[in-house]
Amino acid sequence: MEPVDTSACVHCGLCLPSCPTYLVTGDESESPRGRVVLLNQLWGALAVGGSGDPGAARAVDSCLDCRACEEVCPAHVPVGHAVEAFRARAVQAGHRRRPLAARAAARYFGTARGLRRFQRLGQWAQRPAGRAVLRASGRLGGTAGAAAHLGTGLPEPVGRRLGREGIRFGGEGPSVALFYGCVMDSVYQATAAHAADLLRLSGYRVVSAPQQVCCGALHTHAGDPGQAEAWARQNVAGFAAAGAEWVAVTAAGCGAALKEYEHLLEDDPAHESARQFQQTVRDVAELVALGRRPPLPARVQAVTVHDACHLAHAQGIRQEVRDLLRWAGYELVELPDADVCCGSAGLYNLTHPAMAAALQRRKVNTIPEAADVVATSNPGCLLQIQAGLRRAGRTTPAVHWVDLVWQAASDAGVV
Amino acid sequence: MGVVEDLRRVVGPGSVRTDAALLDAYAQDAYTLATVRPLAVVWPASADEVAGVVRVLARHGVPLVARGGGTSLSGGSTPVPGGVVVHVSRLNRILRVDPLASVAEVEPGVVNTWVSRAAAAAGLTYRPDPSSQQACTIGGNIAENAGGPHCLRYGVTLNHILMADVVWADGRQSRVGTLAGDPEGLDALSLLVGSEGTLGIITRAWVRLEPVAEASATVLAVFGTVDEASETVSEVIAGGIVPAALEMMDNLAVSAVERGQYRVGYPPDLGAVLLVEVDGLTEQVEEDAARVQAIAARHGVAHLQRAASEAERTLWWANRKTAFGAMGLISRNYYVQDGVIPRSRLPEALRAIEQVGRQHTIRIANVFHAGDGNLHPLLLYDGRDAGEVARVQGAGHAVLDVCLRLGGTVSGEHGIGVEKRADLARQLTAPEMAFQRAVKDAFDPMARLNPGKIFLPL
Repeated sequence: MEPVDTSACVHCGLCLPSCPTYLVTGDESESPRGRVVLLNQLWGALAVGGSGDPGAARAVDSCLDCRACEEVCPAHVPVGHAVEAFRARAVQAGHRRRPLAARAAARYFGTARGLRRFQRLGQWAQRPAGRAVLRASGRLGGTAGAAAHLGTGLPEPVGRRLGREGIRFGGEGPSVALFYGCVMDSVYQATAAHAADLLRLSGYRVVSAPQQVCCGALHTHAGDPGQAEAWARQNVAGFAAAGAEWVAVTAAGCGAALKEYEHLLEDDPAHESARQFQQTVRDVAELVALGRRPPLPARVQAVTVHDACHLAHAQGIRQEVRDLLRWAGYELVELPDADVCCGSAGLYNLTHPAMAAALQRRKVNTIPEAADVVATSNPGCLLQIQAGLRRAGRTTPAVHWVDLVWQAASDAGVV
Repeated sequence: MGVVEDLRRVVGPGSVRTDAALLDAYAQDAYTLATVRPLAVVWPASADEVAGVVRVLARHGVPLVARGGGTSLSGGSTPVPGGVVVHVSRLNRILRVDPLASVAEVEPGVVNTWVSRAAAAAGLTYRPDPSSQQACTIGGNIAENAGGPHCLRYGVTLNHILMADVVWADGRQSRVGTLAGDPEGLDALSLLVGSEGTLGIITRAWVRLEPVAEASATVLAVFGTVDEASETVSEVIAGGIVPAALEMMDNLAVSAVERGQYRVGYPPDLGAVLLVEVDGLTEQVEEDAARVQAIAARHGVAHLQRAASEAERTLWWANRKTAFGAMGLISRNYYVQDGVIPRSRLPEALRAIEQVGRQHTIRIANVFHAGDGNLHPLLLYDGRDAGEVARVQGAGHAVLDVCLRLGGTVSGEHGIGVEKRADLARQLTAPEMAFQRAVKDAFDPMARLNPGKIFLPL
């Protein structure tokens, strides 16, 4: 693993206030500009066989990989990617183990069998015995406590089917295959069917793409690009076999990862097919926003939108989600700092519970009382924000915008 | 008892740090030709903690620099050798926006744009808009008397600060200025604004808010040569139009920023682009915009366009305001100068600067506030090449010599910092320098506050 080139950084500092960890700590070493300085030192140490200053490694590692800095950087310095490359190198060099959470993720993600296992874990968490264990471990610190807390953000009840099993195929127009996404598929099962319905409504033909696996985003973030590359090759081949014109994604984190397959498979024989695949990947919002939109009546619910980092910063998608919610008849309430990370960030809330909790509090505190629902586009954000709202004693639900728009279309009898 | 332990007693153990990695992250601001690793970094959480920190450091004879966003381009927030960085990043609350009095009460670590964002609902805005406004802080803006493109019409930071709470060199606190805007007795506030953190530390500020203009028009004019653009600038000003902003970028500057995040789509072969914004009452704006376009047409403009939407206007400004940061796309490092010249000498100055570049073999891109003659030549270099570093510093001083020769000054808005100390001494006479040092000595006789800035050591 080679260092990512950050030499275009001229230390201007324009990135600082975009960085969630800097906003929380006020500490330059936990800002993108500070991390560029520290990354240079750490790579220097690695080059001569050392492991680098542990404090520097910690400050680099506290990056959420939210990409907010990359979006505002005048010179597009890829700080998030640079941090990922460093994590991978540190694991490779044996300076650290893969994070516990990444090893746990490998048990669940990647196969349908693993996902069913994950789903059963969610179901267990909602039975009395499970709840008792969660309550007890919720008082613990560290990863166990953080995991237990996240469990309280699960939608109730966690269902018994995978999302992919509920999709209705067919329709007229350009063909589109859904990318399921592990957590969407196992925990937010209804969303896949809803997304398919909306795609058919807006003029697409939904086709099946059964040969797909985990996108690998969590592994890339955690410093395990090998696994991510293997899955990427499978996905590129699987979607080529499905032959759809578009690949529609409901999880912002997956979408951002899929849109970077060309980079991930840079030195791979599959590079060219990865490039072609990547060009077909769209968030569901992008496709539906371009399609047919029959008029829908006004609704009484007020919605506030949290921009998932990997939708807003990594994919530049903000307006589409709001436009579609308005189309569906919802009133929109502005969320201040809507695109500042909620602290979920893949497995970050398990690996860095204290920072994740600080960002979660910040996010929940800004959610206006006037909002009946918080809408977002990523399963991690849904869990994190829902758990935070419940901890704050608020009954406001966090819901995928696809489910909200689908509900409106369904009530109007058009899906 | 050591200084670090004493600091910990004031701000708590977690808010003083001395680990190596952290200190390296603080060794520079946006002026990268100076690197100084500080002794420690401390994050006070209140004005009283700032005062406590200053007292502890005074007792131990340790100097300090207060830091906000760390975006100074002259080394204003570069650490002082053997000194402590007092980072006010946690003093970042907007305490009050008073629409009736048109005042915002803010802490020093509040980012410039946050103020206008908070005031927007009331139809108000905070005018000074340094290009780093998305990251620079009000405390730093006051310390540097920051300018910005729109200061042509609306004035610099000094004209927008009504009152401030200050911690002085001995740790005493007081309030300077009044909300009425008229100083009581000696105008200590005006002395403080632009003193680069050498006289006191701002812990709270009351800033003036102004109504957003009724109308505005932004005109983009692309010229084949810099001279045509310069002549347009002169005629606009001579014609009695006071634009809200009047900015110029030359070919090399445009070529960098067009590779960056905010691409306008400028033709690659342009000589210079002018960005002219007029604002005010609707009728006046229409008349001014038409006159500006007519003047540009008389000077051979190649392409003339008026922003059709707020989104387009925002893009043009984002393009201009990220020009410095975008230099990283065409050069390893850059060093920006800040000299001022009489507006009428613009073509002459640009030719002389071009010659400086040739003499020192340094590429120079030009971005500047054409309306007030404040030049920002961006000197491109590679910091890994010691010879080139020496050449670029030589070229920087030579650029300032050009400004002085043409009757200008060495700094428009970036401050003297560590960078232009020798140049300031060339601009001012010996008695003027002695007077300035006497002011500093009166406020900070032990030289604890940001020593080594503005003045060369005697």
